[in-house]
Amino acid sequence: MIGEISHFLSLSAVVIFCLILIFNFFFIFDKTHSNQLSLSLRMFNQACWLVFISFGMYVYLSINDDFSIAYIASHSNSQLPIFYKISSIWSAHEGSMFLWIVFLTVWSILFINSLHRNHPLKRITLLMLSLIILGFLLFLLLTSNPFERILPFGAIEGADINPVLQDPALAIHPPMLYLGYVGFVISFSFITAYLFHGNFELEWEKDIKNWSLVAWIFLTIGITLGSWWAYYELGWGGYWFWDPVENVALMPWLAATAFMHSLYASSKSNVLKTWTMFLGILIFALSLFGAFIVRSGIIDSVHSFANDPQRGLYLLIFSGLITLLALGIFAYRVPSLNVSRFVISGSKESYLSMNNILMITSIFSIFLGVTYPLIIEAVNGEKVSIGPPYYNTIFAPLILIASIFIMASLDSIWQRSKPFKSIVSSIIVPMILSLIFTYVVWHVTAVFSILSYIGIFSGSLILFSYLYRILSNFFYKKFINIGSAVAHIGFGLLFIAISFNSILSYEKNLNLAPGETILIDESIEEFSFDDIKVLKASNHDVISVEVSLLQDGNNIFLNPQKRKYATRGQITTESSIHASILKDTYLTIGDQLENGSWTFALKINYFIKWIWFSASLMVMGMLITIFKKKAI
Amino acid sequence: MNKPLRFLIVLLPIIIFSFFAKVLLVEEDEKFLKFNAKNLPSFELNDLDGVAVKSQSLDGIKLVNVWASWCITCLVEHPFLTKLSDENIQIVGLNYKDSSDKANAWLQKNGNPYIFSIYDPRGDLAFDLGVTGAPESFLLIDNQVIAHIQGEMTQRKWETIFYPLINKARNTK
Amino acid sequence: MIKINFFLLAAFIIFSSSNFAEIAYQFDDPAQEKRFYSLISEIRCPKCTSGSIASSDAPVSRDLKNKVYKLVIEGSSDKEIKEYVSERFGVFADYRPPLEGANYILWLSPFIFFFVIAAIFFSKRRV
Repeated sequence: MIGEISHFLSLSAVVIFCLILIFNFFFIFDKTHSNQLSLSLRMFNQACWLVFISFGMYVYLSINDDFSIAYIASHSNSQLPIFYKISSIWSAHEGSMFLWIVFLTVWSILFINSLHRNHPLKRITLLMLSLIILGFLLFLLLTSNPFERILPFGAIEGADINPVLQDPALAIHPPMLYLGYVGFVISFSFITAYLFHGNFELEWEKDIKNWSLVAWIFLTIGITLGSWWAYYELGWGGYWFWDPVENVALMPWLAATAFMHSLYASSKSNVLKTWTMFLGILIFALSLFGAFIVRSGIIDSVHSFANDPQRGLYLLIFSGLITLLALGIFAYRVPSLNVSRFVISGSKESYLSMNNILMITSIFSIFLGVTYPLIIEAVNGEKVSIGPPYYNTIFAPLILIASIFIMASLDSIWQRSKPFKSIVSSIIVPMILSLIFTYVVWHVTAVFSILSYIGIFSGSLILFSYLYRILSNFFYKKFINIGSAVAHIGFGLLFIAISFNSILSYEKNLNLAPGETILIDESIEEFSFDDIKVLKASNHDVISVEVSLLQDGNNIFLNPQKRKYATRGQITTESSIHASILKDTYLTIGDQLENGSWTFALKINYFIKWIWFSASLMVMGMLITIFKKKAI
Repeated sequence: MNKPLRFLIVLLPIIIFSFFAKVLLVEEDEKFLKFNAKNLPSFELNDLDGVAVKSQSLDGIKLVNVWASWCITCLVEHPFLTKLSDENIQIVGLNYKDSSDKANAWLQKNGNPYIFSIYDPRGDLAFDLGVTGAPESFLLIDNQVIAHIQGEMTQRKWETIFYPLINKARNTK
Repeated sequence: MIKINFFLLAAFIIFSSSNFAEIAYQFDDPAQEKRFYSLISEIRCPKCTSGSIASSDAPVSRDLKNKVYKLVIEGSSDKEIKEYVSERFGVFADYRPPLEGANYILWLSPFIFFFVIAAIFFSKRRV
């Protein structure tokens, strides 16, 4: 019964959103605030609440194991802790789409009610938001209904959550990511409304700045959590695979990052306005594209949901129309946007423009990398793969250029070019330090890899520039933007960590029988396979292995496992990690060989924790920017 | 911003979206049709009865089917292969990473649709052919590999991929 | 295959005294080892939805790793090894599309794109 009510509430929301659209259609050119608008607003709020209550009921159903609902029956289980019963809702397509929509309505309702009562853009924004929510609600109810019942008799027991998803990081990774993706619906709708409205005297940057910053933070946390989860759960010991699904998450992130920078410039010096608007539209368009790629199954990926062309086609048409609507208005209005201010070379905004160009190029490269295999297959039927080597090669020079411009922009000022002489010291010092640093690393490690050294040089260039800046701030009281400094130091550190990880990390594949000990290298003098046990847990069997290592004079105990889940027959590998500041010792167990010994993959991953630490620095910088109101 | 650029901003997404729509609507079968022909790698192995087999022994039109006694899907496609062999299609088995005892017992039990089965316990020939597991099937015409499918052979795959190619080869002779 | 063996294997866990302990893919030259691990991370597992053979335990991935190991030891170049694999499993198996034919578009267009955008931007300076 509750299931039907929940379903009915969602349907009612659809009706109300439809009414809002029809009702307001005749008033879109009406630029005055009227009673009619406040009525629409009330309807909008109610429709959003219907979606929340509907979702709340759905959560209730999941907690109470209503296995007569097909989706819950196939993705949850009565034995699960409550936490996973809830997170099982977003462990597959239908439920995660529902969550997507809930977040969409959360952002929308918060934003629309935060706008001033008589805000001239309110009506069009409201309409855009209603249109987008309606599109997704219809998608949910028509093609991927989570409310469907198993009739006449429900299942007695649920089929269980996918075991690799039964993990705290993964339970919160999708919500974070979706909050990020969907948060940019605000900049999308508001910019479209601004362009549609046509009164270009209006200020729009301030109204969406903090919303976009918060969405950026969620997106960054979501991507970082996903990477961390993949590292310890998938058992490959990698943190980023340039998998299509990761790529479609990275594209909105890059666009969002470019947008933040561009927004900064346009609110400070009134330039780059068209760029900023274009980027603001692009972020959400790329989020929609990502949803299409992941949910249509058009590209093979470990993360993608089951292949369903029907859903793919709906999403493609819907996101295509929404994107074209926004871009169409943009292209139509661009000439009348009265921005004639020149970007002066050497000024801060000229460096920020460079940043935009680099970001757009990186988005283009990823987009090309994702679609190229499809294009080639369509043209001559050949299957090609584009993987890490391609992206690393393309990104290295882009990052190098970016780091140089970040360095140069630090000492630059708005709207005026600074004579080269005055910024020379803040360029020369970091440049020399970075060269020395890179050379020392090369000398010490004696490994050569051009890409990694570009990474180290670029990263240290950013780091040293900011350190130099902080020192000058300390001694000469030069201005420093703390939020930006923290975020950029995180950015620089990220490339150093990634590059160090790539040149220092190594892997050993071992075959050992229980009770045996082996010498690995100078660092790991003993690797002993102490014990192996078969255990039974509530919903899976475990092969649990105890291994002790004598690493750098310390005794380390590791306990990698293999699990077989009863209900799904799925086998998972549980890695065992010993972490120190510089490196992780990462061990997984493989199969048993015919002679009775077992295979192990031992990976020594350097600086891997630093990668996530860098990402959290970036988030911290953004938080500082939000709370230090004057900073941006 | 000038006119062509504005035009492009709208046109480009349209092109991209139509491309994806086209990819989405392509039938799964059409994707199988394209395969770059290559020469059969040369090999010297025995068949399951211990008779020597060389690459030259596989002349004319042959369907090569990769199978093993441990392979469950092979049992599923077995009746269809039997039907094909009754229709006078020459099927050569490629016994993959198996032991000859188990393989012969399997054939004894389930029937033998193969004119002979190449015994490849270490998977050497299979590796050179690009086999990723069992079952898989290849079409050989005059020592040229001209089609390759992974997974079970079905009526549909046979009719859309293999049969037209065989027909074409027969007609040109 | 793995699925069936799981329980059989678990049932046959025995503590043996004989010596099996070894490091698989042992190299005398650390540079060769580096090359090996970098190569297997660039060859796509033909049996998986995505991921390299380095990250896969599928039987065909194991065969491929063994073969690559042998070829590295025998002194084949990276290019020869990639070609060897591509001949058998198609260019699909190579995560680094070789710089030839249509792939020039793939490799060069990001840079062309960068310069075109920069040119548009700086020619007008009033975006």
